[in-house]
Amino acid sequence: MTEISKHSSGHGHEGQIHIPANTAWPLVLAFGLTLSFGGILLGIWITVLGLLLCLISIIGWFRDVLPHESAEYVSVEVRPFVSETTRKVVDRIELPLLEHKPGELLPQATLIAGLKGGIFGGVAMAVVVMIYGQLIHGSVWYGVNLLGGAGVADWTNATTAQIAEFHWGWFLIALLIHSTASILMGLIYGAMLPMLPSRPMLLSGIAAPLIWSGLLYAGMGIINPAMNSRISWPWFLVSQLVFGLVAGWVVAHDENFKRIRKMPLAIRVGLEVPGLIQENHQGESH
Amino acid sequence: MASIPVIQSQQEHFEEWQLPDRGKVGMLTLILGESALFSMFVLAYIFYIGKSISGPQPAQVLDIPVFMTICLWSSSFTIWLAERAIEHGKMKIFAGFWALTIALGAIFLGGTALEWKRLIYHDGLTITTNLFGTTFYSLVGLHASHVVVGLIMLITVLILTLTGHVKQEHAHRIKTLALYWHFVDAVWVIVFTVVYVLGR
Amino acid sequence: MADQTLPIGGVVDVTELKAPKQTFLEWLAEWFITVDHKKLGILYVVYAMVFLLIGGLEALVIRLQLAIPNNHLVSPQIYDELFTMHGTTMVFIMGMPILVGLANYIVPLQIGARDMAFPRLNAFSFWMTAFGGLLMYYSYIGGFGLYGVGTAPDFGWFAYAPLTSPAFSPGRAPDYWAVALIVMGWGSLGAGVNIITTTLTMRCKGMTLMRMPLFTWLMLVVSFLMVIAIPCLTAAQGMLMIDRYIGGHFFDTQAGGSAILWMHFFWIFGHPEVYILALPAFGLASEIIPVFSRKAIFGYPAMVAASVGIGFLSFGVWAHHMFTVGMSGPTNTFFVIASMLVGIPTGIKIFNWLATIWGGKIWFATPMLFSIAFIFQFLVGGLTGVMLAAAPWDWQLHNSYFVVAHFHYILVGAIVFMVFAAIYYWFPKVTGKMLDERLGKLHFWLFLIGFHLTFDFMHIPGILGMPRHIYTYMPSRGWGMWNMIETVGAFVQAIAVLVLVFNIIVSLRSGKEAGNDPWDAWTLEWATTSPPPAYNFAVDPVVKSRRPLWDLKHPEDPDWKYE
Ligand SMILES: [Cu+2]
Repeated sequence: MTEISKHSSGHGHEGQIHIPANTAWPLVLAFGLTLSFGGILLGIWITVLGLLLCLISIIGWFRDVLPHESAEYVSVEVRPFVSETTRKVVDRIELPLLEHKPGELLPQATLIAGLKGGIFGGVAMAVVVMIYGQLIHGSVWYGVNLLGGAGVADWTNATTAQIAEFHWGWFLIALLIHSTASILMGLIYGAMLPMLPSRPMLLSGIAAPLIWSGLLYAGMGIINPAMNSRISWPWFLVSQLVFGLVAGWVVAHDENFKRIRKMPLAIRVGLEVPGLIQENHQGESH
Repeated sequence: MASIPVIQSQQEHFEEWQLPDRGKVGMLTLILGESALFSMFVLAYIFYIGKSISGPQPAQVLDIPVFMTICLWSSSFTIWLAERAIEHGKMKIFAGFWALTIALGAIFLGGTALEWKRLIYHDGLTITTNLFGTTFYSLVGLHASHVVVGLIMLITVLILTLTGHVKQEHAHRIKTLALYWHFVDAVWVIVFTVVYVLGR
Repeated sequence: MADQTLPIGGVVDVTELKAPKQTFLEWLAEWFITVDHKKLGILYVVYAMVFLLIGGLEALVIRLQLAIPNNHLVSPQIYDELFTMHGTTMVFIMGMPILVGLANYIVPLQIGARDMAFPRLNAFSFWMTAFGGLLMYYSYIGGFGLYGVGTAPDFGWFAYAPLTSPAFSPGRAPDYWAVALIVMGWGSLGAGVNIITTTLTMRCKGMTLMRMPLFTWLMLVVSFLMVIAIPCLTAAQGMLMIDRYIGGHFFDTQAGGSAILWMHFFWIFGHPEVYILALPAFGLASEIIPVFSRKAIFGYPAMVAASVGIGFLSFGVWAHHMFTVGMSGPTNTFFVIASMLVGIPTGIKIFNWLATIWGGKIWFATPMLFSIAFIFQFLVGGLTGVMLAAAPWDWQLHNSYFVVAHFHYILVGAIVFMVFAAIYYWFPKVTGKMLDERLGKLHFWLFLIGFHLTFDFMHIPGILGMPRHIYTYMPSRGWGMWNMIETVGAFVQAIAVLVLVFNIIVSLRSGKEAGNDPWDAWTLEWATTSPPPAYNFAVDPVVKSRRPLWDLKHPEDPDWKYE
């Protein structure tokens, strides 16, 4: 039954342990190095002394570990030992029995619901932005270019006519920014909505878009004044509310999502409680 | 009093319990730190490319050190051959390639010394001349000092080999040391690119 | 019975302790030549505690100088030296050593190892750290400045160029500062290499990475930060020395060099340094809070992921210390967003600590009191951090006392609080004696009151425009009352620290016997005697879960069934 560990310091005979022997060389080397550096300040002869100490201690250290590490052998005696606690009672956080193992259901369900919500919301928002461009500036690409062009270097005092044209580069950048942001926001909806109190539509459709629109409104003037001067904030708010309402509606009407919302809070926030987490009956660990 | 709780350890198969090699992890970590040190000097060099107020400028005085670069990089190959030799217990071959590695490293160092001599006495470029001088001598000098430290360790091993103290069972220690040498060579790839290709 | 001798905690060492038949000198010599990780850990902590007192004394003089308007208690020169040495001491000579020391003692025990991976390197690292600190303080008496006095550094702990150039620092001050930090840097590098290697290669059987205690995990992350960040500082100081001694031009604007480059280089090191100090505190909290809540840590994988995430992020946010330098819009935006991203993993951590406490059976022992205060103070300090990460806010308040209050909220309110918690928590393991609980609670309440008096009120003069590093101020500014309150608070904190020192002395002499496992805890260090023998474990432990001692204490309900 005795397995000798592969630790470098763990070799040993039965009942004997070896530990590295004390040595002064690290101390001397550290002192020598400090002196040789300190000699820059204190004078060249201090450096010479320091280097001398370094040389001596390096040789000493070298002979300490090679060819064999110097060690002390300690003999030990062992006997069985009881690890006891006075607090024997284990209390459990009780939860009603579930038909589904939430551990399997929760991550995928929220992920898929969020993804769907983000995509639908993003499309709806894009439509609103295009309608805005067509109605106000006579071009569906106006809003797209505002997003795609603002972050790019070649946006220098563009005229309204320029912004109304179609540009491949700006379009692709806008597509990238818009789809990433929409999907991420959708995923946040998927992850957050199950945990929050009731009325998901109010939170996701109205409250959340209002909050981030307000933040952007307050910050955009500082972050990107050029873009700020061209944004129509009422329309912006409308497009965000449309995103929120569509994404929220899609997430809240997902079948799995509805099932999750009926579960107790502890499950929805993903508490690690025995019973919720799958038991490992074989006693095998991974 | 309850019975002694004991976990049946035979359920887990600890024969598979393998941990990484101590020396190797230590050396790789040290190399990580050294990389950070070098990257600051490289950054400073790149930052100051073309910012010197007075001459000489790199394009006027720097020649691409082809021969010494080839020497240093091929030393990585010879030390790898030496590593293979000691793994198979061929001590003579090991000593040969090890000595060759040292020779190549020494040639590189000699090349650097000649280059510096020319720069200082012929072109009048010292560390105080301008920003190019400051960053050039610091970066190349830092690398050269690492070559020196590496050479000292390699020579120590060579002496121990010739006196018969290094044996096949020391192969993994030799490989750990060789890691450092590979690192010194790899740094030269960066320094060479930045100083002699980008900076000129 | 044969089966019972193998697994973790299944054995206890009954080797008789040899009566220490040594003279005082032999005993003393052993501390100098030891390579035992536990003794070196104690050396680190004691060394750091001495400098905690010294750095604290410096802070008291600073507070006295600022207590009333138009004060001239010390000269401006001495005042500049005081705040420079206070910052340098607390970060490099006290902060890092005390955390590395705790790691030195605890990490090998927690992973069931007999020692660190490189015991001699460990000793070397400590002595480099120690000699570096002594060299730094030697600047007070050594080295002749302009007027033949000692030349302690006097340019703030970040030593901006061109203050360190020969024109503005004709004495030896920057040289002492740079050389001492280079020497200490080698020590920290050695410690980092050692801790990484130890955690990766010395774990006992069954201790997979995802079963490592969180303190060990955090120290692994911190060690990577040390190994990468400290050489950056060493490089910058090497450049400074090249400038000063052999006429280089790195930071010499006259020759086209850049003072801003120094700022970048310093903060590329400086920001990760903040996390080098803060992450161990998170690790300590993650050990102590579950034990005193009698519940397993909530969200272990998320904690690990958040720690690694903070580690990565810490290298991409340094320029938030430089918003007032005048960087381009996109650069500012990048560093604003990157800095605010740090809020996500730290938020996860706070959430997880609260969720660990929630529903637990809380035991309000002194370590737990400090930990609870830590959570809330860390939250406040983190929130002012998010405020300062917004560039426009920072333009207004940069280098004001608001910033000083913010980072002291983290450094004292979070880190020092957790260090105190750790001292109460592991003192029984290290010495075999309990620290006195009544004195501990007195210490806690005094320190809590003092802390809030000083650092809560420090935000206000900051917002009113009081700049950092200021020597004195006019009465008409209206900062006087706030500064007086802060000074009173500083003295309350000082008294609290003296209570701790008194507690340590009293408890060492006549403290209650601790036993192996006084807190009924779950990690491996509590499976050996207090204090542990030189070889830690007589038989190498074997673990099957994150809480090996829980498994032993609750055989009917072990963790490994669920993990
Ligand atoms: Cu920072």
